Amino acid sequence: MLPFLALFGLCFLAPIVYAVYQSLLRVERTGPLGLGGETKEVWAGLSNYAHALQDDRFTAGFVRVLIFGAVQIPVMIALATALALLLDSASARWVGFFRTSFFLPYGVPGVIASILWGFLYVPGISPLVEMAHSVGWDVDFLDRSTVLWSIANIVTWQFAGYNMLVLIAQLKAVPEDLYEAAKIDGANAWQVARHIKLPLIRPALVLTTVFSIIGTLQLFAEPMVLRPLTNSIDSGYTPNLAAYNEAFTSNNQHIAAAEAVLLALVACVLSFGFLRLVGQRGGPEGGAGRASGRRGGAPRGGGEESGP
Amino acid sequence: MSANPPNDHRTGRRAVLGGSAAVAAGLALTGMAGLTGCGSDGDGGDEPKGRKEGEKVTLTFWSWVPGIDKSVDLWNSRNPDVRIKLEKVSAVNGAQYAKMHASIKAGNPPDLGQIEYPVVPSFLLDNGLADLTKYGVRAQQGKFVGWQWQQSVFGEGVYAVPQASGPMGLFIRQDLFDRWEVEPPATWDDYAAAAKEIRRRDAWIETFSPTNGNRFAGLAWQAGASWFGTAGDAWTVSVDDEPTRKVADYWEALVRQKLVKTIPDRQNAWYKDIQTGAMTSWLGASWGDALLVGNAPRTAGKWRVVPMPQWKKGEAAYANWGGSTTAVFAHSRYPKDALAFAVWLNTDPESIKLLIEGGYGFPAAKGGYRTADLDVHKDFFGGQEYSSVFAEAGRGVDTSWKWGPAVDTLYQRLGDSFTEALAEGDSFRSVLKTVQRATVQDLKDKGLKVESG
Repeated sequence: MLPFLALFGLCFLAPIVYAVYQSLLRVERTGPLGLGGETKEVWAGLSNYAHALQDDRFTAGFVRVLIFGAVQIPVMIALATALALLLDSASARWVGFFRTSFFLPYGVPGVIASILWGFLYVPGISPLVEMAHSVGWDVDFLDRSTVLWSIANIVTWQFAGYNMLVLIAQLKAVPEDLYEAAKIDGANAWQVARHIKLPLIRPALVLTTVFSIIGTLQLFAEPMVLRPLTNSIDSGYTPNLAAYNEAFTSNNQHIAAAEAVLLALVACVLSFGFLRLVGQRGGPEGGAGRASGRRGGAPRGGGEESGP
Repeated sequence: MSANPPNDHRTGRRAVLGGSAAVAAGLALTGMAGLTGCGSDGDGGDEPKGRKEGEKVTLTFWSWVPGIDKSVDLWNSRNPDVRIKLEKVSAVNGAQYAKMHASIKAGNPPDLGQIEYPVVPSFLLDNGLADLTKYGVRAQQGKFVGWQWQQSVFGEGVYAVPQASGPMGLFIRQDLFDRWEVEPPATWDDYAAAAKEIRRRDAWIETFSPTNGNRFAGLAWQAGASWFGTAGDAWTVSVDDEPTRKVADYWEALVRQKLVKTIPDRQNAWYKDIQTGAMTSWLGASWGDALLVGNAPRTAGKWRVVPMPQWKKGEAAYANWGGSTTAVFAHSRYPKDALAFAVWLNTDPESIKLLIEGGYGFPAAKGGYRTADLDVHKDFFGGQEYSSVFAEAGRGVDTSWKWGPAVDTLYQRLGDSFTEALAEGDSFRSVLKTVQRATVQDLKDKGLKVESG
């Protein structure tokens, strides 16, 4: 246990404690013009938090990622689920190939993926934009109104396959006799998927959704890479980008620490909130197997209530 | 400590920092230092001891300038005792400064670093740079162009050795200007007229890149603005002054009449416009020659350089965009040797020659080169001796311009506000007002005394 605790403390607890500590300090300078004199870190109380919360760009970033998550996560999880179900029911040939191909984008680092898609978004260079223009669709992927969804597209492209793999793993764990029983009862493929597979992979759906919520709040690489290409992404586009710029452009580590702590808190609240929400809905009636029929649109998070 | 070989301990930690996870590692190191209570708080620490006679040391130097490795090699071949170890850092989106600030905070910066003029003050706030007057830098002053020297002078201290500058000029597609019978603009009024004429031909004269704070600062600088100053113990900020308003109004008018594009410059779509002639000029700096040559090779021979347009006909007010220094970090244990290298790097004729070949900008040194040496891409500019245009511009730069702390933040604020103004239709004057207020607050947040100028 001791080696674990040591590593846990050093790699996990220490940075968090230090970030919280840093967020409660501010810098005081002496000397002419604040140069050359002593630089002291003094107690700041919660003033850094107040500063962060009063910063319109920072709070706007939160609203932005929440809107982003509300749309992108359901779409991506639905897509991943559909892919997983299709691959699971596909005949044995090529399954391995398709599984790998869908998963492949996850192997591309986020920065590279963003650069790649950046080329496909920039007008004048992108074949996509050119094609759209040639059929009379005047699209600008990097416009203020669209760029958030262009980022959503990159994220979906990257992570749908990853989530699909998690779902497939759970699908593989479903005992074969359940399918056999269903077949004997005369269920078709669609009914099997809806009434057996979906309810049984519920834990995996919950897991991937929680990961996606956290990932959404941490959105960073995509806006960071696309930023120089467009006028639509400001320095506080996402909370993570705001904290980064505060720390490394403005060199205000203390405010950045406060922003990072706030970000972590929101991520905590949202993911535990989500877990509670789905826990309450599926929990009391018993195991996942018995919940069949209750939740058709599992990925939606707030699936329809149809009574026991 | 003194029993250790001079650099082992520091090099080890630095190697960690040098990895791709520099930022994370920097934070982790700071984290541990803070917890175990053995970290340095960046207060400069003990006075450096310096090198003993005959002692061999290795100094680390972070830079991104192309071709600078050749100069470093030359120094190393001549100075076996003081070896310079060059580590290339990324200059994309200010990553190099993030890394430097993190390393200062972690207590293990390199000995020397490449630092651009506008960001020198933000390193001073960290107490990150050594005051070179202690090591005799004053004696070197005469070797450098006056205003560039002044960029690193704050109070009584001199905090960096100037390396190069970026006097501004206007790159134009002479062939298109000729074909459309447009005169190269001598004044900003001419420029607006030219913009209109070129727009009639379905091309654009330029882009007003809202996120390019550097260039906007240059435009304000030319118009006679002075964004930062000092009044006794306090900094003064005057982003929203008359000259800057004039510049803002001018470009707002061009933007509203759709006479200029508003795409960001120096990114893919812009390069494409430059390659195809969709954009016919670029208000750039002397180092921009290499950028055009590298990115629009097929337009070779068609470009010329003319002086930046003037507000009044016949004036000769110019500005500067970019340029950097070689600074010695306060943590360096051998600041004297570091300074000697920095001075040599930027004044030795052979070193300058190598740097020019690499395309480092316009030398800050007075001697050791001829303007003609800088015409590295003469053919691309149709045989024009274009460097003389920049040399002239360099002489016309308002030397009283000073940078203040947190210029990076200022640029970010300008970019955010300009893009918002473009989207929402707000006036450019309101941008200046916003940025002025925000910048004053930013400096206060940094614990500085500040007044609105």
